[in-house]
Amino acid sequence: MDLMLLTGLLASGVRFAMPLLFAALGETVGQKSGVLNVGLEGIMLVGAFLAVAFSVATGSPWGGLLAATLGGAAMGLLHGFFAVRLKVDQIVSGLALILLGLGLSGFGYRLIFAGHQSIRVPGFERLDLGPLSDLPVLGPLLFSHHLLAYVGIFMAVGLWWILTRTGLGLTIRAVGENPKAADSVGIDVDKVRMRCAAFGGAMAGIGGAYLSTAQLAGFVEDMVAGRGFIAIACVVFARWNPLGVLAVALIFGIADAGQIRLQPFFPQIPYQFFIILPYVLALVALAGSAKSASLPAALAQPYRKA
Amino acid sequence: MLVLDRDSRVALMALAACALLLLGLIALAGESPLRVLAILIGDGFLTRAGLADALVRSIPLTLTGLGVALSFRAGVFNIGVDGQLLIGAALAMACAPILGPLPSALALPLLLLAGTLGGAIWGGIAGILKARFGANEIIATIMLNYIAIQMVSWLIRGPLQEPMGIFPRSEKLTASLRLPILFDGTRLSAGLIVAALACVAVWFLVARSRYGYALTVTGKNADAARYGGIQPAVIAFSVLCLSGALAGLAGIVEVSGLHGRLQEGFAGGIGITAIAVALLARLSPLWVPVAAFGFAGLYVGSDAIARLTAVPFPLVHVIEGTIVLAFLVLQIMPKAKDL
Repeated sequence: MDLMLLTGLLASGVRFAMPLLFAALGETVGQKSGVLNVGLEGIMLVGAFLAVAFSVATGSPWGGLLAATLGGAAMGLLHGFFAVRLKVDQIVSGLALILLGLGLSGFGYRLIFAGHQSIRVPGFERLDLGPLSDLPVLGPLLFSHHLLAYVGIFMAVGLWWILTRTGLGLTIRAVGENPKAADSVGIDVDKVRMRCAAFGGAMAGIGGAYLSTAQLAGFVEDMVAGRGFIAIACVVFARWNPLGVLAVALIFGIADAGQIRLQPFFPQIPYQFFIILPYVLALVALAGSAKSASLPAALAQPYRKA
Repeated sequence: MLVLDRDSRVALMALAACALLLLGLIALAGESPLRVLAILIGDGFLTRAGLADALVRSIPLTLTGLGVALSFRAGVFNIGVDGQLLIGAALAMACAPILGPLPSALALPLLLLAGTLGGAIWGGIAGILKARFGANEIIATIMLNYIAIQMVSWLIRGPLQEPMGIFPRSEKLTASLRLPILFDGTRLSAGLIVAALACVAVWFLVARSRYGYALTVTGKNADAARYGGIQPAVIAFSVLCLSGALAGLAGIVEVSGLHGRLQEGFAGGIGITAIAVALLARLSPLWVPVAAFGFAGLYVGSDAIARLTAVPFPLVHVIEGTIVLAFLVLQIMPKAKDL
């Protein structure tokens, strides 16, 4: 494979990785605090829809991003309300989010956009750093992504720092590892978890927004296509480390970009066998990384004061 | 006098908020909630055509709902019903040319068996990943869904495509491999009987067998199960096979009883509804058909709503989500004996 092709592959791999990265980073923080949210798929769908609807309404992708972030946070809070406040089964509550997300995004889409096929969505522009972006290889690889992509990479590093090096990170980890001990030193376990759940929802919303306004330009029903679940697989495979999540999301992004680019080279192989590659990769990643010691000890376990 | 604790009151308020959201969505579409409700109930349950349609749709929902209920009882979350259903239908359709010449009384059961086997294999893959490698079954079964969709997409454009080779679909099943229609003028097939038998079988398994007891114990407390000599890994693997088997059976019953051939999206969205069905039935096999009929009517009614009003069809998923949340709220309500 020549250099041009490889550069193109890696550059689009970065773009494909971003929806996973945002959602997985949010889920990492949530799970670190003990909240498991299997409903990322539904939140990403709502985020993707809100981003398109509000980009069109406000004329700017940032308006869409804001709406997606708020909508995602609201769904994260709903999950927190059931999982943390009411202490019911977190998995079932997450499943409800998937249904709600599927319904709300599909409902809104058909209500607003049905019959208007040719709506132009004001999507995110690629960054243009002039000479830097024109550099061979490095230009497309490092200096010509959407601004949001740099935010994502920055957040991976920032969250790693926060989780491992700050008091806030210690609080979050304590709540997820040993809520009783955290409670005994005066930490409001439920409050921390609620905030982490809201943060996780907001990040999944951003992931959806990236998908519909940066990676693609428009909303299609069920467009998230399992990415919400692949994001959870990323978290597990990265062993709850935000820097690891960045690496794993990039692997998935490149695999996804790669399968599309490989298709024309092997016309004798049915294209469906390429489409399944990221999903097969997720299965392999799961099988290879489960039973990890990094699993937050109190994950999915509600905390009740004695 | 029923006095609710604070949690219960808050939970009920959350449900009320969900109900308001539904009303708000209907109002947003510019329709009167009363009219929408009237169409939902009228067309979904109260007309002869609607009732027959709801019964038709309740067949796959009952079979898949039973599978989901079994797995959830064991604390194993099989979200991959759609994939198991597709692979079941596909394997059975691959066997159809061999079974075609046999007498119907022999061929039809074998066809259903092939579908069951296909679903069991697809569920079993997730089972091995969970039992042997500790992979989370929620993600594993969902990934297998997407893989199954692509496999069927390939099959109906490749090995299983009809000889004409124009449309991406399989050849129609011969009459000997079709489940007979029960009532003339409807599309209601003998799949209804298959579903009823499955209910009884699963009820027996859950309520009267050692295995059912092991399932429930594992779901309630895996450590206690281990102490009692039950291996949670074995339970996880076997229940995913069983759950997949029921989904695979649902797949071939849909093909043999309703569509007659394999085509894309012939059973879309059954898996996620099956979860709502199982939860609403509180994982009890004998309530599953009741819940399945309820959701089937909801779908038929929602079709009518989308046809007759400006309210888009996906409202049905919002209703389903609300029902799942309602299930959670009911769980924390004080039990009668506590009052």
